[in-house]
Amino acid sequence: MMASSYNAKEEDGRNSNSSTHGGAAVAKSKKPDNTAFKQQRLPAWQPILTAGNVLPAFFVIGLIFIPIGIGLYVTSNNIREIEIDYTGSESGSPCNDCSTNFTWNTTTPCICTVNFTLNQPFEGNVYMYYGLSNFYQNHRRYVKSRDDSQLNGNIKSLKEPSKECEPYRTDPVTKKPIAPCGAIANSLFNDTLELFHNEPNGRTTAVPLAKRGIAWYTDRTVKFRNPVGDNLSEVFKDTEKPMNWMKPVYELDPSDPENNGFINEDFIVWMRTAALPTFRKLYRIIHKNSSSTLTLPSGSYTLKVAYNYPVSSFDGRKRMILSTISWMGGKNPFLGIAYITVGSICFFLGVVLLIIHHKYDSRNNSADIPN
Amino acid sequence: MEYPKLYEPGQLNLLFNKKEFFICIAQGIYTSVVLFFVPYAVLSNATQINGVPLADYQTFAVTTATALVIVVSVQIALDTGFWTIFNHMFVWGSVGSYFTIMFALHSQTLFRIFPNQFHFVGSAQNTLLQPVVWLTIALATAICVVPVLAFRFLKLDLKPQLSDTVRKQKRRKPGGRSMGGAWRGTGSVSEGRLGARGGSRRSGYAFSHQEGFGELITSGKNMRLSSLALANFASKHSSTSTLVCNLATNDYFSVFVYDCRASPWGAGGTSRKQPGAELRWTCEGEWR
Repeated sequence: MMASSYNAKEEDGRNSNSSTHGGAAVAKSKKPDNTAFKQQRLPAWQPILTAGNVLPAFFVIGLIFIPIGIGLYVTSNNIREIEIDYTGSESGSPCNDCSTNFTWNTTTPCICTVNFTLNQPFEGNVYMYYGLSNFYQNHRRYVKSRDDSQLNGNIKSLKEPSKECEPYRTDPVTKKPIAPCGAIANSLFNDTLELFHNEPNGRTTAVPLAKRGIAWYTDRTVKFRNPVGDNLSEVFKDTEKPMNWMKPVYELDPSDPENNGFINEDFIVWMRTAALPTFRKLYRIIHKNSSSTLTLPSGSYTLKVAYNYPVSSFDGRKRMILSTISWMGGKNPFLGIAYITVGSICFFLGVVLLIIHHKYDSRNNSADIPN
Repeated sequence: MEYPKLYEPGQLNLLFNKKEFFICIAQGIYTSVVLFFVPYAVLSNATQINGVPLADYQTFAVTTATALVIVVSVQIALDTGFWTIFNHMFVWGSVGSYFTIMFALHSQTLFRIFPNQFHFVGSAQNTLLQPVVWLTIALATAICVVPVLAFRFLKLDLKPQLSDTVRKQKRRKPGGRSMGGAWRGTGSVSEGRLGARGGSRRSGYAFSHQEGFGELITSGKNMRLSSLALANFASKHSSTSTLVCNLATNDYFSVFVYDCRASPWGAGGTSRKQPGAELRWTCEGEWR
């Protein structure tokens, strides 16, 4: 129950106070101002979910998603892709010898070759990936095992790597700091893949593979920097190479100083940890040649592998993937199918709701609150 | 107190009880599952336009986080019934500040100062430029929001609660129901404002606080009875009279009891009945 006195405001401006009624004679200052904000009179848009709003929304979503899904699916189907598994775990496969006779301290790499055929030609830029399975680059302790300030060229971190890199922080024999430290760097993928085209006239030509431009731009220009110094071997002279590497970091690509040391793009690509146990990483790019339209004509090809990376101990698999690219990236049928599915479910739901709404509409009208 | 029954859901705990809580939890679990598995399924095979695979940990993180913020904002927008300027500010502002902060955290400036902490450098800039990422976010949003929309629409259509019906009525006949039929010549000023712009000027976020009768009464517009009527009135009763009006709206009666006293202009004491004299009313009232 609320008893309040109203001050009757008249045109002549005189206020008559009804304090004789004994109501709460409030001082004028306690009354909230008569503004829109304080009297809850702010202009507001009041959307209500009516049939006129929701049902068209469902149909619109359905009608937008289905064509997008069809476009994505068709685009994805036009992308050419081929996967060659070269693990060599089964006896009789080309790389079985290299896989079973793997030793750590080998100076000559084991070479194996895999022959395959391209049924359809690849046009435009062709991207060559290496893929690994059952390799958990997303393990938490593994992901943390790196020193980003050392990889950024910080001299202090070069001599004293971060504690996160343990046990790959210092060399157990020479006690020198490891550059680059950590488990991610230690497990760098070091197979070498080469591609040869067996032309119909019997010649074998090497397919030109470009090794620059495979890493993120921000990675190779901002995140990874060599320590300052002209001669890389001088800069790294008091450090040790990671235990599983065959060559030290300043010999990753002696022919190209822009691709040597920490800024080696294969190294940068590997250091960007993958999110899933089955992943692929960009290895090389086959640029489209301006003379002919077919980058990789259909026919017989040979993949030559320098088998340096052991995966049999953890039941991993290795493969090489060749793929073309479209505006939406590589082959991804899931996106197209998902869009088509969601669009049609939405449309179907809209139809169902329309039927339900019509059926019960008459019942709704009679249940109005009487005037 | 125009619709006192609207207070019942609060009193009977209908809007927040164990069942509603578990429905909320179930919706949260469903949204979480969708927000993880849709980017997982799409990005595991996706590549950027330049061929670099999108399946790395940082891209996954940025995609999932952005999808989460957008889905939650859409959900809040669905729940907001009255969009005042502050609602707009906070909803759009929170999405905007998420993007601002994310780009700041992934910027090169912070990386140069603390390389080991801000190792997401360049991630947002690279990820959010890919059409596949935005298609993924749109897909996740649609999968999360469409069932909620369908459920709400069905609930509103088939089993509307009283507050929903009241809101629908108010939209159909703006302002007409807020006054009872007992007042003649009710103030047209307030009615006109209520019907403006298809929505109530009265924000009503405390829904029972309708425009109210304060201004109407205190303006005294409908209190100037002719002296004849007053004479009849006053002679039957004492100098103070009580008007009781039943505001019969929908089946719920609420009563506003007035106590009005008349006094002539500028004079104190007894009222002199003169033809054409205007009387001033001062009223006190209470809801019962």
